[in-house]
Amino acid sequence: MTFSPNAPCVIRPDSGSKGASQPVSLRLISLSVPTLLYPVLHYSILFAPLLFAPLLFSPLLLLPAKSLAEDTQQNIEQSGAQTDSWSESASDEWSDAGWDDEEQGHTIHGFFEVAYGARIQSNRWVDRDDTLNEARLRIDYSNYFGPLYASYKGDFLVDDLTWDGPFIDTQTREALLRFSVGKNSDIHLGRQILTWGTGDLLFLNDLFPKDWVSFFSGREMEYLKASSDAIKFSHFNKLANVDLVWSPKFDSDIYIDGERFSYFSPLADSIVAAPPKLSANNPDSQLDDGELALRIHKIINGYEWALYGYHGYFKSPVGFDPERGVNYFPKLSSFGASVRGTVKSGIGNMEVAWYQSRDDSNGTDPFIPNSQLRFLTGYEQELISRLTLGLQYYLEWTQDYDELKDNSLLPGKEPEEYRHLLTTRINYRSLQDKLTLSLFVFYSPTDDDFFAMPKVIYRLSDSWSSEMGMNIMGGKNDYTLFGQFEENSNLFARVRYSF
Amino acid sequence: MNNVTKLLNLTFLLTAVSTVVGTAVADETDVELIVSKANHIAFYQANDGRAESRMLITDGGGNKQVRQFTVLRKDRGEQVDGDQDFLVLFSRPADVRNTMFRVIKHIDSDDDRWMYLPGLDLVKRISSGDKRTSFFGSHFFYEDISGRRLDADRHELLETTDQHYVVKNTPLDPDSVEFIHYTVWIDKSNWMPTKTEYTDAAGKIYRRIEALQIKDIDGYATATRMQASDLRSGGSTLTEMRYIQYNVNLPDDIFSERSLRNPPRQWFKRS
Repeated sequence: MTFSPNAPCVIRPDSGSKGASQPVSLRLISLSVPTLLYPVLHYSILFAPLLFAPLLFSPLLLLPAKSLAEDTQQNIEQSGAQTDSWSESASDEWSDAGWDDEEQGHTIHGFFEVAYGARIQSNRWVDRDDTLNEARLRIDYSNYFGPLYASYKGDFLVDDLTWDGPFIDTQTREALLRFSVGKNSDIHLGRQILTWGTGDLLFLNDLFPKDWVSFFSGREMEYLKASSDAIKFSHFNKLANVDLVWSPKFDSDIYIDGERFSYFSPLADSIVAAPPKLSANNPDSQLDDGELALRIHKIINGYEWALYGYHGYFKSPVGFDPERGVNYFPKLSSFGASVRGTVKSGIGNMEVAWYQSRDDSNGTDPFIPNSQLRFLTGYEQELISRLTLGLQYYLEWTQDYDELKDNSLLPGKEPEEYRHLLTTRINYRSLQDKLTLSLFVFYSPTDDDFFAMPKVIYRLSDSWSSEMGMNIMGGKNDYTLFGQFEENSNLFARVRYSF
Repeated sequence: MNNVTKLLNLTFLLTAVSTVVGTAVADETDVELIVSKANHIAFYQANDGRAESRMLITDGGGNKQVRQFTVLRKDRGEQVDGDQDFLVLFSRPADVRNTMFRVIKHIDSDDDRWMYLPGLDLVKRISSGDKRTSFFGSHFFYEDISGRRLDADRHELLETTDQHYVVKNTPLDPDSVEFIHYTVWIDKSNWMPTKTEYTDAAGKIYRRIEALQIKDIDGYATATRMQASDLRSGGSTLTEMRYIQYNVNLPDDIFSERSLRNPPRQWFKRS
């Protein structure tokens, strides 16, 4: 019964682990929004932010207009400049436009983005073919108030896949105060994005929340990292730097819950999807039920060394309580280390993490992941100008494997004791960085499954950019990490105006 | 008595003037000295400095992009014209705003480079194997910004004109670069390299870097407007520097990982 006992692998999109189960009968009650209404609903919603956002943020209206005006002015000056072959006066005019932007420091920035994505094959379990269908306004404001730095990043969006109206959804991505304590310490207080570790899309010691729904649906890579409500204390000194992060209340991953993407449920021994959404009991919200993360790091001769510790929970609801019939987040502690630095003419990295499954330390409970040792090594190099190749090898070694097999409800569907994963990244930049082509592939020889992400990013100008890509998942079996998502494979496109 | 003093003074003055003029006029013939002085002027003036820079990138089709950033630089001082620390904080365009780029320039080994992406809170290590790759999409290469090792090329004084020393530079390891040789025009009055032209295997000049404007800043001749042109595509990048300050006494410890997440505002803001 314990598919993927030690939780979704690194990229952990809940991975339909054992706890992630739904009574099969429930998902037969399907949503039946008349299909004909979709186009109408769909497009009216896409444009809703255009109508509402200005009302909510009327002062902000001026900003895009201002930038546009600046752009236009610049274009005029530049075309003039071209004919003058950068005569003194033309250059000066160009130079004077906007030099002050930076100094003001408190201007409001952000973007407006429209995104659409759809499955490239039909999915038996999910009605809707679209996997991404949203319009989003980002507002980004930061400023210094004496020694205090304050930053706010908020998204105002209509997501057609989850929207239940009538108002625009708001998501505060960052609401942060930063200040120094003494000469050598910084505090980041509030909602913030936190990242550490050395992997490329593989996270061992980084147990800060991830948003797997965004990742699999093709939102901008920034959204792979979800926000933490935390206090981060950083101390810097010659001996070693220390980061200590306390999240008073557990911040889980945004995991695959069946609403947009189907997943494999070991309890049902089948692929399932919402309704019902996969729900889970969160840890209590007492002060001692939060998360603690520690990093001690130092650069020695150009090599970045780090030690890590984490005390909290599995980030996806990979535990299942058979008595109460609910999924939950089992207790997890981890310890690890990493090093990264120049190797030959590229960058090499190595990272290791020990995952201690505190609720199942002898590995016999089929409803809780076993402990694991995780190991990663990678290398990245610019092969020729602008073409970068990255390779990674990743291993999950599940502990007490015999006990796991003996107690599993689906022993034939457990990942192997040593689960291997290889990744490759090819990046090519061209046309003054306006065009970026990239391909990232995960391949697991032990699971016999893969996940390929081809992408084209094109910057039309400093303000307009676009991105198109695919998330292609597949495998021999429908119960492995990527194999279960085969029918969620999708194609997406986004257009963004930044200001 | 007065006359004698006057005569002595005049003699002294004339000697002084002739010494100065003599030094300025006499042509230097040691090419190694010429290139090392030019290298110093281009990359090592004062112990540290701060500048705001702006790049206008125009591709062959006439499309424009802008990059704007503030640079802090400090010499490590362990050797003359040796290792240096850089912090580069981007302010434009909007989608790279607050991206911080940190470099430790090593003379005897590859540079260390990091980039901090605030949207992901990600510190990315960047390989520095290829120094002749575009600096943030511009027509300038990393090597144009931070300097090329002097011992990577063989130097040859081609010509000494009224204004310039013309030096031909031939790479010792031709496979590591895209040029066969490059020629630098170094201004005799201030040792500033004012023009560089790169020649390809076909013998054609395909790339040019020019100092379009040189200003005296705190007594240091400084190229405040530079252009890199790709003669094959017709694209070019114009860089302007403003708010330049030298010898600002930047503390060593701001060139650290701490600054990636917490930019030292005191030094990045205009004073």
